[in-house]
Amino acid sequence: MSDRRKRRRPDPDSDSESDTRPFKHLLKPDATILSSLRTLASSAAASSSKTLTLSDLRLSAACREVSDLPPSAVQSAIESLAVSLARSILSGQGFSFTVPSRSSANQLYVPELDRIVLKDKTSLRPYSSVSTVRKTTITTRILHLIHQLCLKNIHVTKRDLFYTDVKLFQDQTQSDAVLDDVSCILGCTRSSLNVVAAEKGVVVGRLIFSDNGDMIDCTKMGMGGKAIPPNIDRVGDMKSDALFILLVEKDAAYMRLAEDRFYNRFPCIIVTAKGQPDVATRLFLRKMKMELKLPVLALVDSDPYGLKILSVYGCGSKNMSYDSANLTTPDIKWLGIRPSDLDKYKIPEQCRLPMTEQDIKTGKDLLEEDFVKKNPGWVEELNLMVKSKQKAEIQALSSFGFQYLSEVYLPLKLQQRDWL
Amino acid sequence: METGGSSESPVETKKPKSKTPRKPKESALKQKSPAEFFAENKNIAGFDNPGKSLYTTVRELVENALDSAESISELPVVEITIEEIGKSKFNSMIGLIDRERIDEALYDDFETAKAREKRLAKEARVQEIQAKNAALGKKVKEQVAIKAIKGRGEASFYRVTCKDNGKGMPHDDIPNMFGRVLSGTKYGLKQTRGKFGLGAKMALIWSKMSTGLPIEISSSMKGQNYVSFCRLDIDIHRNIPHIHLHEKRDNKERCHGAEIQVVIEGNWTTYRSKILHYMRQMAVITPYAQFLFSFVSDTSDKNVSIKFARRTDIMPPVPLETKYHPSAVDLLLIKRLIAETSKQNLLQLLQHEFVNIGKAYAERLIGEMGPDFSPKMLVKSLTSQQLVRIHQLFRQAKFDDPSGDCLSPAGEYNLRLGIIKELHPDMVATYSGSAQVFEGHPFIVEAGVSVGGKDVKQGLNIFRFANRIPLLFEQGADVVTRTALKRINWNSYKINQTQDKIGVFVSIVSTKIPFKGTGKEYIGDDISEIASAVKVGLSILKNFSRLLEIYRLTALRLQTSIQQCCIQLKSKIVKKIQAREQQERKRNLSKYIPDATNAIYEVLKEMTHLHASKKRRYEDKDAELLSKVSARLITKDTLREKLAQHVEQVDYEMALEYATQSGVKEEPRENIYLQLLEAEKDFIDFHGPVFVFRLFQ
Repeated sequence: MSDRRKRRRPDPDSDSESDTRPFKHLLKPDATILSSLRTLASSAAASSSKTLTLSDLRLSAACREVSDLPPSAVQSAIESLAVSLARSILSGQGFSFTVPSRSSANQLYVPELDRIVLKDKTSLRPYSSVSTVRKTTITTRILHLIHQLCLKNIHVTKRDLFYTDVKLFQDQTQSDAVLDDVSCILGCTRSSLNVVAAEKGVVVGRLIFSDNGDMIDCTKMGMGGKAIPPNIDRVGDMKSDALFILLVEKDAAYMRLAEDRFYNRFPCIIVTAKGQPDVATRLFLRKMKMELKLPVLALVDSDPYGLKILSVYGCGSKNMSYDSANLTTPDIKWLGIRPSDLDKYKIPEQCRLPMTEQDIKTGKDLLEEDFVKKNPGWVEELNLMVKSKQKAEIQALSSFGFQYLSEVYLPLKLQQRDWL
Repeated sequence: METGGSSESPVETKKPKSKTPRKPKESALKQKSPAEFFAENKNIAGFDNPGKSLYTTVRELVENALDSAESISELPVVEITIEEIGKSKFNSMIGLIDRERIDEALYDDFETAKAREKRLAKEARVQEIQAKNAALGKKVKEQVAIKAIKGRGEASFYRVTCKDNGKGMPHDDIPNMFGRVLSGTKYGLKQTRGKFGLGAKMALIWSKMSTGLPIEISSSMKGQNYVSFCRLDIDIHRNIPHIHLHEKRDNKERCHGAEIQVVIEGNWTTYRSKILHYMRQMAVITPYAQFLFSFVSDTSDKNVSIKFARRTDIMPPVPLETKYHPSAVDLLLIKRLIAETSKQNLLQLLQHEFVNIGKAYAERLIGEMGPDFSPKMLVKSLTSQQLVRIHQLFRQAKFDDPSGDCLSPAGEYNLRLGIIKELHPDMVATYSGSAQVFEGHPFIVEAGVSVGGKDVKQGLNIFRFANRIPLLFEQGADVVTRTALKRINWNSYKINQTQDKIGVFVSIVSTKIPFKGTGKEYIGDDISEIASAVKVGLSILKNFSRLLEIYRLTALRLQTSIQQCCIQLKSKIVKKIQAREQQERKRNLSKYIPDATNAIYEVLKEMTHLHASKKRRYEDKDAELLSKVSARLITKDTLREKLAQHVEQVDYEMALEYATQSGVKEEPRENIYLQLLEAEKDFIDFHGPVFVFRLFQ
């Protein structure tokens, strides 16, 4: 009858069922699980040694990294650039930008740092070439707009920026791409440009922090949680009694955990960016990790994209590798759902999906990536996925009941310390 | 005109029925002639409805005409005419007097008083609205003519005439060639257009079913001094021709070929585009033929007359008749080969009746068959068990693949010419694969991709050909369509799948392509029982899946073929883009001057403000520039002018560079083909291995 004691909300109806739920009987009392988690948290706090930086490594290849700059520094950088452009035009040479290349050929995975960095290759973007004239013009226009933002010291969203000159930018992907280029040209982070993306990530659980001076208690944010603020510089004073951070890929799983108050049963902070993470969520996660020194466990789909999302949190995206130092969170553990879990937890056939050709290709490509190779466990799991040609979403667990995720699967995983 | 033929057979079958109505099961075992079978299941041969029947009739006649001309290596000239026949004209043709309707209410399209009221009210309402619109000064659409309500009995009739310059037919064979279903000259194993000689006969059966009028054939062979004229219809019940008139007439013009005329029920309105598409695609795949298509009706604005001119006199070789590949035969076929062979013993049979079995190999095979086989044993003495053994061995043993020599693909040259001639594309690329094998039958895939052209809609336009016949129906499920849509990444060839006018042409030739609806092998010469007839029907279905199977096999091949074409096109497209860039460079570069210079100038202006208000300090060099800006020595326009000058200079340099690189010629010119005015042979050809030297006299 130890089963009954474990349940938070005993319910006579489902109690009789609880025995039928697979693996429920394996669960030990929460206290046991909690104590094992506590050791994990303390070891994470202890082991967090000084983080390496690029300059510590003395790499043979030169790398480019950006830093946070105050608005005045960004302003003067733009001004000196503008003056040089004007000189170039006046001398009859036209003008051109030297843009660091962000192509995948110019990326380098540094195993010591466990993240992707940008090499120093640059490309010339001259005005007087048909293929680059548009981009060059957009770049000058964005520079002008950023200059204004820095002068007035206000923040706008990427969407705002796009709408200042829709006719020229045509669609937002173009202005967004150039924005990253401008960051590279000026050598500052994208946040220093005073341009933010709309809020996307949310956080809930045992976390208290200040947002622009207001204290936020994330246990009292209701079901939806607190939206992660776009400007990380507004965030401070983080406090928490959590034992770990749970990173969730999907909004649906996040909702389940938030509604079941999973963080009260096992003290934790639950974060999601609803798919591919945005800059703000990545910055926030890193800040939490650095300040609170908590282990990070990730709950993603069992498909190549789940792992890809995991890698973006961990090693950074190629698109923004110039700022990977600020955006990546080291040492994220892959908790689930892993390909091996499909059989281990007897997820029924009808909840698994066959992988498409595209999926399999993505999976095979991932196997070639350094950040996967460095972790033999991941390679094994990914090989299993590609071989079985099956994928499953977190929601596949709902086939055992909607609360199976929060009441059986996750506790069991934590109990078994089953992460890679 | 005689119409008795059509009413003969039904009367015969009805009579016994009416006499013994209570015991209909007494005559359970019935014999059905193939003609009857096809008359009842005419959809198998593509005669589903009047419209489709018209289409299929045209297509069968055209294909027969082409086959006929090609068989004597004559460049085909095919004239096809569809003449619309009004009801009264039709009635007079069959000797029926036009009757006025007496009891109007008897007819299906009779308008009851209520319906009339309703219609009038509706018309009045429409008029009212129009008057209102007119009063408001709105633009009034032309009132759509109220569609004539067409009753059920209101069929339209067409006379289809097809004239060719082919081989013609021997005088005495004509009745059997048209009046007996499943008799034909195309039963050997070779690549043919025709579907085991059903087409013209089906047209005749259809004409008999819908109009009751006989078919008229006039034919003349080369060197004959007479024209055979024959008017006949078919006795469906007995599957024999019913000859009305069969005579020899004077051949004044000394021409050869055949002219076939048949009157059928059809539907031009709905199948007009299909028929025209068919003609056009046929012209693409057979650019060496000349087609003259015309549609004639009483209302002259509906008339159509199109000439598809000849663009080349190079014909693909005549497909050769080949022997069976051991892995392509079944038990029945082995039996038939044995029954027909002139060879005496087993060794000779294997060696001479199949491809890819040499003498030594045949001996090895016979040794493998078992102790009760010997090379010298008589073929006629083989037991059915022994035949099964031979069949099994054929299935399991390894044979060389049959060569594609017996096939006659359209050829890259012809395909290309055809596409250019009919579509006038901006660019075209073609590719011809090598022969492949499926179940012992060789096949060749050829493909072409074109971009641009006249009368081509945006997006993918797919043209499919099987044994050089266009396939028009059921395109969606076809593997060509699927390949083109899903497996080709057009973007990577700089082709825009939705914007560009893309033509995809795929032609497959094989000794065995199961066309929709037929399978050559399964039709014996003497089917008379319904059981066999049903089997034909079933095998047709089976072939459907077979077709898919072949297609699956060829899918990969297809993909590479289309990709090959795209690769060819890509370089052309890139060249074209360069040329276009050439023209538009200056415009494109100048377009952005205001945007770029404004942005820079705005920043400079802000800086001068800051500089002036001493909020910020700048280096001396920069300060100098800023003071010029504030003194308006440097303005927006200065920047603009300077940049414009630069653009001008760059454009000039680039133009010079382009000119030196590409020469004066704008784009590669297509060769044109000039047809000889007089085709008479007044020259001698000297054939060398790589050239032909033609000496004119």
